[in-house]
Amino acid sequence: MTDSVARWIGLAALGAIACSNGPHTAPPNAAPTGGSGGGAGMGAAAMSSGGATSSAALSCTTTAPGVAPLRLLTHVQYDNTVADLLGDTTQPSQQFPAENVVLGFSNNVAANQVNPTLIAAYQSAAEALAATAVSSRLSTLAPCPDGSASSDCGHAFVTNFGTKAFRRALTANEATIFDNLFDATLPQGYSQAIELTLRAMLQSPQFLYRVDALHAPTPETGAVALGPNELASRLSYFLTNSTPDDTLLAAAANNQLVTSSDVETQARRLLGTARARAMAQDFMSQWLGLSTLDGAARQASDESFGPSELVPDWKSTLASFIDDAVWNDGTLGGLLTSPKLFLTPKLATLYGQAMPSDPTTPVSLPSERSGLLTQPAIMALLAHPDQSGPVQRGVFVLQQVLCVQVAPPPPNVVAVPPAVDPNATTRERFAEHIADPSCASCHVSLDGIGFGFENYDQLGRYRATENGLPVDASGEVVGSGDPSLEGPFNGALDLASKLANNETVRSCVATQWYRYAMGRVEDTTDQCSLNDVRSRFSATNGNFTELLVAITLSDAFRYRPAMDNQ
Amino acid sequence: MKRRIDRRLFLRAATGAAVALPLLPSLRAQGQSSAPIRRFVTFYTPNGQIHSAWWPTASTSQTDFTLNDIHQPLAGHLSRLTLLKNVDLQTAGGGPGGPHQRGIGTLFTGQYLQDGDFVDGCGSTAGWADGVSVDQVIAAQIGQSTPYPSLELGVRATDNDVQGRIAYSGPGAPLPPLVQPLDVYNRVFKDLVVPDQSGNMPADPMIAQRKSVLDAVSSQISELETRVSSDDKQKLDAHLTLVRDVERRLAQSAVSCSKPPVPATMDPTSVTDMPNIATLEIDLLSIAFACDLVRVASFAVSTGFNRIQYPWLNSMGEGHPLSHEDPSDPDAHSQLVARAQWHAGLIARLYDNLASVNEGDSTVADNTLLMWSTEVSEGNVHSHTNMPIVLMGGGWYFQTGRYIDCVENGTNPSHSNLLVTLMNAMGVEQTTFGRPEFCTGPLKALA
Repeated sequence: MTDSVARWIGLAALGAIACSNGPHTAPPNAAPTGGSGGGAGMGAAAMSSGGATSSAALSCTTTAPGVAPLRLLTHVQYDNTVADLLGDTTQPSQQFPAENVVLGFSNNVAANQVNPTLIAAYQSAAEALAATAVSSRLSTLAPCPDGSASSDCGHAFVTNFGTKAFRRALTANEATIFDNLFDATLPQGYSQAIELTLRAMLQSPQFLYRVDALHAPTPETGAVALGPNELASRLSYFLTNSTPDDTLLAAAANNQLVTSSDVETQARRLLGTARARAMAQDFMSQWLGLSTLDGAARQASDESFGPSELVPDWKSTLASFIDDAVWNDGTLGGLLTSPKLFLTPKLATLYGQAMPSDPTTPVSLPSERSGLLTQPAIMALLAHPDQSGPVQRGVFVLQQVLCVQVAPPPPNVVAVPPAVDPNATTRERFAEHIADPSCASCHVSLDGIGFGFENYDQLGRYRATENGLPVDASGEVVGSGDPSLEGPFNGALDLASKLANNETVRSCVATQWYRYAMGRVEDTTDQCSLNDVRSRFSATNGNFTELLVAITLSDAFRYRPAMDNQ
Repeated sequence: MKRRIDRRLFLRAATGAAVALPLLPSLRAQGQSSAPIRRFVTFYTPNGQIHSAWWPTASTSQTDFTLNDIHQPLAGHLSRLTLLKNVDLQTAGGGPGGPHQRGIGTLFTGQYLQDGDFVDGCGSTAGWADGVSVDQVIAAQIGQSTPYPSLELGVRATDNDVQGRIAYSGPGAPLPPLVQPLDVYNRVFKDLVVPDQSGNMPADPMIAQRKSVLDAVSSQISELETRVSSDDKQKLDAHLTLVRDVERRLAQSAVSCSKPPVPATMDPTSVTDMPNIATLEIDLLSIAFACDLVRVASFAVSTGFNRIQYPWLNSMGEGHPLSHEDPSDPDAHSQLVARAQWHAGLIARLYDNLASVNEGDSTVADNTLLMWSTEVSEGNVHSHTNMPIVLMGGGWYFQTGRYIDCVENGTNPSHSNLLVTLMNAMGVEQTTFGRPEFCTGPLKALA
């Protein structure tokens, strides 16, 4: 069991009600599990004092390596890799079966193994990629012009391109396998032989998996520093979701990827690339669960837009907002309080704004918007088709922003949003949760936060009134585990200001990004690394670049356990 | 083997227009005496059923009963239908996870869930199901002589965790569904080698190429295996096995069957495309069965925590929350029954299609066994007793056209007994399945 989802809202009260359909459902995690690592900011007590200060209970005097199993390239990594290696931007992973998702993240290593459909898709993708590469880019790919019939040309291709595809030099045996394939095909023509060799490379596990641990000449013990090639791949696949570039490969080859200073230099360089910006978008999309917005129906009462028509607009405006907050402002506080709103023509109409002449220029709406949680995409995501979703919004803040796990409703309740009523506000209709004692134990916490967002409807519109009645967006934080957050607040803008520089929020966001970086849910072996990451993020006032650099400098990122079967 | 092409299957396109589709073979050529080809399907729909619209309204005997509302779309296949009453999902009563998770995890595996990080139910967490699903056991037995041992299909089954998986190749090894028709086409039909206009089978230059490429890939896997940890070696072994399956398929890529037209790209998350995706996937599966490209399939419509509307049925509730309504609520009742009828209609469409393809003295429909069920019995209370289960086909093994109370000595049997019966019907000689403490052998009511 991990101690990742450690705190549960309302379980003490819910236990008897929610879990009455079988003895097995008595919540195994009902008590906050601090974890054998001493809590590391995940237990309620530790969280309440902030992730950065919880290190006192940890003993982090020795290097704490992170597990390093074979990792399949994720879909986005596959697409980026073939784009960088072959100039092919067709995104073959669109034909791959969907990736499995754990706690929001689709790059979880353990949950994503090969299956028959994926193997077949790899074959199809390799065939298409190789055919295109040979027909359109043979001269840049391979050393000799088409029509040449030299075995040496093919072997040079194996050595040179193979090194890029495998992200390290091929062993003699690996090269021989490809050389033999090339030679056997050469009678059918040089380009054909290159094409088949390329197809085989793109289906080889050395390409499809990231391999962090290979047998060393001598038996290993303790924590083992990743080799330069492996570290180069880790850096590039975390920070850019792609294969190491020439600079990184050269640094690895020249013994310039050894010290923490070396790692930091490369990390900061990679963070300046467009691929790093795309990585941040990918992380945010998974953390925020944006894929559930795809196909979601959100209706306006006047039906001025089709049910799912605005989804692309919401996603694009959120992407612009995230890009600006993470890379221009650069801090978590900015992400949570920026009043900027990027518009599309449809959204400008919907939100009563003039469309800026330059669509990349945001409008600033400090009296209506404050940060990520008030962005239209998030408010529309956390809504029902015909009304806002106060419960979903409360759950979201607790789970995604505060890392408090919320139990689902008991099985025998009617978990249906109340019917829309033109004579009442959403809040009045949802207030039943609080009135019913069996619901109140949880909903005082969920609705207490969720009602604070009542200024935003299911289309992300700001509203001061609803059905002609004034909107009451007062709220109360209950059950956050952080005394500095508990208590009443007045609307989403006020809540955002409380969350902006809060240590529990910083700790949670650091944890989320760490999960994404490592491709796993943290366990006790991660606690020292995670603590270092949280400390750095906090010490830099929530600076995203420093957070990402800190992850690359952590023990778990740079070291692995000794291999078991030398 | 030369097959006589004698029948057209019609594919009704999204527009409702009838589109003539491929010529299909008669799968058992005249005079041929080989054993009949059998097919098997697991069919899942979410959130239980409205019991008052599920169980027959009147019955005087197992063979004399009046179909309730939900089963009306299957009335044309009454002789193939078997309705089982009083079978419990006992295995959903233990192990980690919430009621939806436990139900879907055990429905076709008879297993508990593993520990894991999928969050649900009373604050508990769970992982994948802890064992192989019945369809994959059957595929291992009867699927090896076709190009594809099994197909996993889904319609808006886009929750990519334990909620969205019904097929497992082993413990913790879920098989993801294909969720749009074009992917199904590309997987099954794209690379088929089919007869030319004069009926001759062209040579396929791709076969030799692929074989040499896959040989090199297999060698690279073996090479890497010598240098990695034992855990990683296991992963690579699994990878190698799947590559070998692709190699095996190369020898089977030539069939006497026409290809269906290439489906349009559709959005697997789109409520607008959902009915088209569903019917096209049913039709592509029908053709794959008829062409004997595959004999085993799983079919999942949506997932337990879905929030899907069915606007083409004027059902605008959000799926899972809607299922929490009191089933006596008239609006919820009518919406949920309409959805269930639409699901039943997909099964009817499959059997309509398959009944149009002759196979010796019978039709493909006569040789196809399907089990339809769901992960909770009643959505509003998450019960796992008296599960709504429909079987279609299987008349070669048990008498169909019946409504059967399965209670044994006053006790409801475990559904894992039913899974044993299904395996036996498909030629898998096994006396237990799933967690052994819940399984006492084949379901007596079908013996």
